[in-house]
Amino acid sequence: MEPLAPHEKIFVDSDIVDDENHGEIACHECHGGNPDDPNWKTAHKGVVKDPTYPDATAACGDCHDEISAHYQKSLHATLKPYKLIIAKRANPKAVISEKVAGAMSNHCYQCHSSCGQCHISRPDSVEGGFLNGHLFQKKPPMQAVCTACHGSRIQKEYFGEHEGAQPSVHRQKYMKCEKCHTGEEMHGDGKEYATRYEVEKGPKCADCHSQIYERDAENVISHRIHKGKASCHVCHAQPYNNCSSCHVGKDKKGIAFYKTKGSWFDFKIGLNPLKSDKRPEQFVTVRHNPVDRETFGFYVKDALSNFDVLPTWKLATPHNIRRKTPQNASCNACHGNASIFLQEKDVEKTERQANKGVIVPANLIPRKQKWQPK
Amino acid sequence: MNYLRLIALILIFSLSLIPTFPFTSQAYEDTQCFQCHTSAKKLIEATREIAESRPAVKSSETEGEG
Repeated sequence: MEPLAPHEKIFVDSDIVDDENHGEIACHECHGGNPDDPNWKTAHKGVVKDPTYPDATAACGDCHDEISAHYQKSLHATLKPYKLIIAKRANPKAVISEKVAGAMSNHCYQCHSSCGQCHISRPDSVEGGFLNGHLFQKKPPMQAVCTACHGSRIQKEYFGEHEGAQPSVHRQKYMKCEKCHTGEEMHGDGKEYATRYEVEKGPKCADCHSQIYERDAENVISHRIHKGKASCHVCHAQPYNNCSSCHVGKDKKGIAFYKTKGSWFDFKIGLNPLKSDKRPEQFVTVRHNPVDRETFGFYVKDALSNFDVLPTWKLATPHNIRRKTPQNASCNACHGNASIFLQEKDVEKTERQANKGVIVPANLIPRKQKWQPK
Repeated sequence: MNYLRLIALILIFSLSLIPTFPFTSQAYEDTQCFQCHTSAKKLIEATREIAESRPAVKSSETEGEG
């Protein structure tokens, strides 16, 4: 997404005075600064660009008390999954883990969001700028906010931007992110979750598609046979993007940068690394994530000494759902088709130990079926 | 009767003192923040000045998908 011109980023629509909820709040009440100073340089002394990050209670809490309190523990604010995953892989020596924390702060934690960076401006990580002249947006616009950050995977999958791929059927029905990812999920419920898959108000396919198991439903046999064994994505996702080898560092000017080796398009079914009551399936789609043993090598040697404790092929929920896919064209498009299962040969030798829990052994790949449901 | 008429007059007079829009919005439209941030011309001048004095914030070494 093209960034806005510098002046566009901070242009305020004078219609804001007509906002019956926010129009009576003066600029300096949230942002500070000196509203009477005609010199913009001195007037901006003490100005807070985003008064909703990291703590939104002062700016939003008077009216949106529950949301602003819960938001502090939402995944968009805490980035808890990143922290936990890196902490598990990191070298436990304090001198090293401190450097890893510093590197995370310089790079990984730059991607977060806040009340303001969804409802007023584009997120900072995509260079910010008011969405609509600082007019408050009840529902964040999908492309300027959601897929502005979740671009390389979610956006390309959802819009069908990969060569040869189709958009998600949900996109073709004009569904926007908030249809599945509700405000309740985004704002959080005050609990700190370790992964997004645990969030209680997170999306579930069955919220809309509960009828698929009913007696008269189309494909009821296939749906009932696979219930609890294979996730919906196993049958209904198209191939998706996988990334590898992210390295972070600072250039000669001290500006932070990242480099990823490249990405590739693939579809792999693996063993579910996050089995739970909510996700009991044995088979799920898995995606290679960009972490590397040397991700933080610029900052410190042997930073991720416990690299092998977690898989690099993660549970994935590709956003490119289709009713008909190559793997659900017939039973034997999947059963006996070893090429779509994550096997040892698909995993780099140096990562096999880390992925032993998700690699599908030959004896677990479903055998060819003679019987086909009508 | 005169007493009631007096109360009615006081009420009408009091109502006429209530502004048609809140004090705050009238006040902040007059602030320097509002005057400048609603003027594209002023913002273009200011942001040009900022761009000249600030170095790039994005490294040219960044490569690949994020």
